[in-house]
Amino acid sequence: MFVVVIGLLVVGRFVLSPYLTAPALQTWATIFVAICVQALPFLVFGVLLSAAITAFVPPSFWTRALPKRPIMAVPVAGAAGAVLPGCECASVPVASGLMARGVAPAAALAFLLASPAINPVVVVATVVAFPGQPMMAVARFGASLLVAVLAGWLWLRFGKSDWLRIPSRPADAGSKWANFRDAMQHDFLHAGGFLVVGGMTAATMNVIVPRSWLDAVAGVPWLSVLALALLAVILSICSEADAFVAASLTAFSPTARLAFLVVGPMVDLKLIALQAGTFGRRFAIRFIPVTFALAVLVSVAVGGVLL
Amino acid sequence: MSRLAQSLLLVLLGGAVLRISLLSTTYLNYVKPGFRPFLVAAGLVVFVLGAVGLFQEWRGKASAGHSHGPGVAWLLGLPVFAIFLIAPPALGAFAARSEEAPARPPAVALDAYGPLASGQVTDMPLSEFIGRAWGDSGRSLAGRPVRLTGFVVPSKKKDRWYVARIQIACCAADGIPLKVAVLDADRPPENTWVEVTGTWIDPELEELPQGTVAPELTATSVTVIPAPVEPYE
Repeated sequence: MFVVVIGLLVVGRFVLSPYLTAPALQTWATIFVAICVQALPFLVFGVLLSAAITAFVPPSFWTRALPKRPIMAVPVAGAAGAVLPGCECASVPVASGLMARGVAPAAALAFLLASPAINPVVVVATVVAFPGQPMMAVARFGASLLVAVLAGWLWLRFGKSDWLRIPSRPADAGSKWANFRDAMQHDFLHAGGFLVVGGMTAATMNVIVPRSWLDAVAGVPWLSVLALALLAVILSICSEADAFVAASLTAFSPTARLAFLVVGPMVDLKLIALQAGTFGRRFAIRFIPVTFALAVLVSVAVGGVLL
Repeated sequence: MSRLAQSLLLVLLGGAVLRISLLSTTYLNYVKPGFRPFLVAAGLVVFVLGAVGLFQEWRGKASAGHSHGPGVAWLLGLPVFAIFLIAPPALGAFAARSEEAPARPPAVALDAYGPLASGQVTDMPLSEFIGRAWGDSGRSLAGRPVRLTGFVVPSKKKDRWYVARIQIACCAADGIPLKVAVLDADRPPENTWVEVTGTWIDPELEELPQGTVAPELTATSVTVIPAPVEPYE
């Protein structure tokens, strides 16, 4: 099988390449490869951390580190997201590793939503992208943490455990290092495959949706918030870069741009693919729309007060 | 997916990433230069992970259980195919979509622009030119010759074409096209890299337009240059 694949690569390099030159296809391929290449270091980092959690940190650590009552564990886990410097691709495998180690799902989910938006790298990027508007970073931090905690509590109150597929772990392979390698290989191949699905969708939307549609709705307050929230979902930009894109959308109100910054790290096409793949479709179909609605509502409220 | 296939896929993927980051500068078509160490590290980790798996397979010491990986992992072959087959080039004229209004570059504090030397040509990034043309009430560009570097994008209007460059914050997916209209010069073929020397055409309006039209430049010379190693601004 693999000999065939490698043979195809060699033949294709010389035979097919001249035909793969249409500008739209090349632009698509550039954006697709860019999303994959850019996300890869973060994915590897997240998978390393997640495999280390499963292989080396004993389950008893988490029961001691987090408050016993889940209702208190949710905000603590959300705030703990501030220490993991990474983007959303890293947080999915880490959250699944936490769940596999017995952390309450609601707390792990709060961590999942908060960490890509409130970690120091992202906060600094937001401050740099909006010179002279420090309140934008403050509003982003507050709104993101609030959404994460609210979503965690909602899951705690209404979520059913059979909606969520806690990822299975490879069988115990003996030594800790063998477990580490197995967990890492499994997580990486799994999450990586879904990252490719998300990257393809995002690249397609990026090429076929004209930006001029956006300008048409920029003037209408409610519509502009929704439009930028949807744009954040479609573009699937890494949370460490999205502030620069938001800063360039000058036709939109600050509140609409805040919605872009809050929604992007929590719900986007590559993240939907990753979450559905990791936690199951029954989970994704419920959790993602709720998160999206919460993110938009909280952005409007926080934007109204602070911006 | 068998263990052997998993390991081979990891080796191929890690190899592809190392090829574009460690062995060449192709990665600059996709991400910012600062990404290189992270890409090399990630590529090495993936490559070694696959190589260790292959080594264990070869010694017949595959660990028990869980021998079949997720089928979705086959998709990881796609970026490998794209890198080796299409070898996607940097974003060009298609991405800069010729007639759409250019996005305004991220705001820079206006006092960051110093006065320009008179009587000599100043090299300038497109973002600075656009920033000065749109945002500088002191009109520091007026009458000062500048040299801009970018690729050629045709215009529907007969009398002009654009010199354009894509500005990225992180990767090519967040690219913002920057464009300046070039007047009084013949258009080289689309996507050719050029150096354009000329002066800003002051629209002589009371209020400078904010990001709705590309600023204009009257060219004195256009030189075709090879594509730069770092294609983005």
